[in-house]
Amino acid sequence: MTASTLVAFPHTGSALRDPVLVLPVVVAAGLGVGWLGADAEASGPRFAIDVALAWGFVGTSLLALGRARWRRTRILLGASAFALLAADLRWARSDGLWTLGFLLEALWLALLVHFVLTFPEGRPWSRLARVAIAGAYGATLGGQAIGALLDPRPRDVLSFAANQRLADAVDRVQGSLGVALSLVVVLLVVRRLLLLQGAARRAQAPLLAAAVLTVPATVLWLVWVIATGESDPTFETIARGTALLVPLGLVAGVTWSRLRQTEASQLVVELQTEGAGSLRERLARALGDPTLDVAYPLDDGRYIDAAGQPLELPQGTNRAVTPLTARGEEVAVLVHDPALLDEPELVESVRATAGLVLENERLAAEVRSQLAEVRASRARIVAATDAERRRIERNLHDGAQQRLVTLSVALGLEASRSGAATSGTLSRAQDEVEEAIAELRELARGIHPTLLRDEGLEAAVEALARRTPLPVTVDGSVGERLPDAVELAAYFLVSEALTNVVKHAAASEATVRLEREAAMLRVVVADDGRGGARLAADSGLAGLRDRLEALGATLEVVSDPGAGTSISAEIPCGS
Amino acid sequence: MVKRVLIVDDHEPFRAVARQLLEDAGYVVAGEAADVAEALAAVAADSPDAVLLDVQLPDHDGFSVATALKAAGGPAVVLISSRDADDYGRRIEACGARGFIPKSKLSAAAFAALVE
Repeated sequence: MTASTLVAFPHTGSALRDPVLVLPVVVAAGLGVGWLGADAEASGPRFAIDVALAWGFVGTSLLALGRARWRRTRILLGASAFALLAADLRWARSDGLWTLGFLLEALWLALLVHFVLTFPEGRPWSRLARVAIAGAYGATLGGQAIGALLDPRPRDVLSFAANQRLADAVDRVQGSLGVALSLVVVLLVVRRLLLLQGAARRAQAPLLAAAVLTVPATVLWLVWVIATGESDPTFETIARGTALLVPLGLVAGVTWSRLRQTEASQLVVELQTEGAGSLRERLARALGDPTLDVAYPLDDGRYIDAAGQPLELPQGTNRAVTPLTARGEEVAVLVHDPALLDEPELVESVRATAGLVLENERLAAEVRSQLAEVRASRARIVAATDAERRRIERNLHDGAQQRLVTLSVALGLEASRSGAATSGTLSRAQDEVEEAIAELRELARGIHPTLLRDEGLEAAVEALARRTPLPVTVDGSVGERLPDAVELAAYFLVSEALTNVVKHAAASEATVRLEREAAMLRVVVADDGRGGARLAADSGLAGLRDRLEALGATLEVVSDPGAGTSISAEIPCGS
Repeated sequence: MVKRVLIVDDHEPFRAVARQLLEDAGYVVAGEAADVAEALAAVAADSPDAVLLDVQLPDHDGFSVATALKAAGGPAVVLISSRDADDYGRRIEACGARGFIPKSKLSAAAFAALVE
């Protein structure tokens, strides 16, 4: 897990104390003074450009320091600045310094390739990138070293095997190698550009694009070397000048990210005025990371999303986890693309402006989570009640009812066997027992209807309709069997509603309609009675409302005086 | 002409009363069974003319027995239950039984009306 803290990075104060950065500054200053006494061949414009380049590199190194993941790159940027100036040692009066300048002439190119191909974390992007970096050092440092051995010029103190033709050939090989490496660099950079996404692309693309743009000037210079066997000062200066595009690309990337940050702040201001429902989406947009997730901590250490659903924080390195804190307390956790770590200011600005909204959202998520738990617990209670009802019905049937039935048949048998004197008494006794059985049966049905369990809702509702002492029409269909809890709730609703029709409505007929629409069961019981019914708090229907709500169902009673009563429920029933 | 009757019910006291009731009316009780397995074995062994069959049995329901016997061209089946016909919906018609008598209304006359 990659975690970052939202502390702003220290600014330039510590950067100026960085020795890597101070070194080229010292060299530049020394050369500035030394140029006055430099060789007559020394080119003023060329030197001015080199000093500007060195300062450009040093300045952008300071920017790279602002990003934790980019800090290692400052060494290469500083070294490039140093190498650019070191090449100008060739104008020094001392032959030793001239030779050193010759050796280091093209080193800046290798350092620049190294910088680009390891940007931003300081590790080569791939094995091919590693090979290209090694090749660049070989072609520049190695090539110049061999060149120094062969170069016949008198100022070359290393000229132990002077040979002009061989020296020209080495120059050409060096140039060809440089062109080949340039093409590899273009290939690697373009591939990298296509792979990058979101925040990383924003921050790095300008630099990578600049790296590609510098290649034509470098290739032009090298092709000239291949063609003529020697370096043309104009082409070389152009190549060195375009190299400044690379640090400028770095600046552009940082600036672009900063602009996005302003945009993010505006978005977050918007967040505070509008509803917070889509906070995640707005944050994702603000941070430019569509994969962003917002997790809210619970007291017990678990995390939930905005809807209150449990959420696991990812393990591993392909997702980064950034906790957002307010007053030392964790308010939310952003789960995001690790590239966002390149823009800590952006995340920080979101935290600063969205803190309150996030805190509200966390509280809302917590309530939703608790609500979901309460709902689940209510559903479990209803399910447990149903199981208990089923058990009681079964016990009534298997126990008391069975015995009473046997008693009733036995009494009937004895009545038929005995003489007229006792048969009347026995028949009356049998009638009483029959009455008890009927009452018990009705009670058992009210507790848990067997027909519903065995045959489903339609059959059970039709049986209810038949038993109702009033014409009841049942229409509609529910298709296949529904979950037990749904069937029971619908059945009890119809049963209670029909009981009310008989007791209170003074209706001449009633209708029951069952409709299944996708994941919703709609139940309507309507009568043509006097209307004016209310959902009294102590009524049987009000008791049913709890059962319905446990299923996420709605209950509606329409009962205008004189216009009959219609009771309808919509019960979610899965797909 | 139905003569020999098999009584299938898991409640022993009920079987005893039913036996007396049928015997009083001149039927011969070919056997008694307390569950589906026993009932099917008894039908095979005693080949009764009719079966007085409780719907709710411990190992399965009486409907499956009635369906199986009907399919095999077996004896006439009269279903009985301490529940109402209403509690079983269309299953009574569908299983191929001759008819249904609520247990508390069981009499030789009601039985005869269905099997004769």
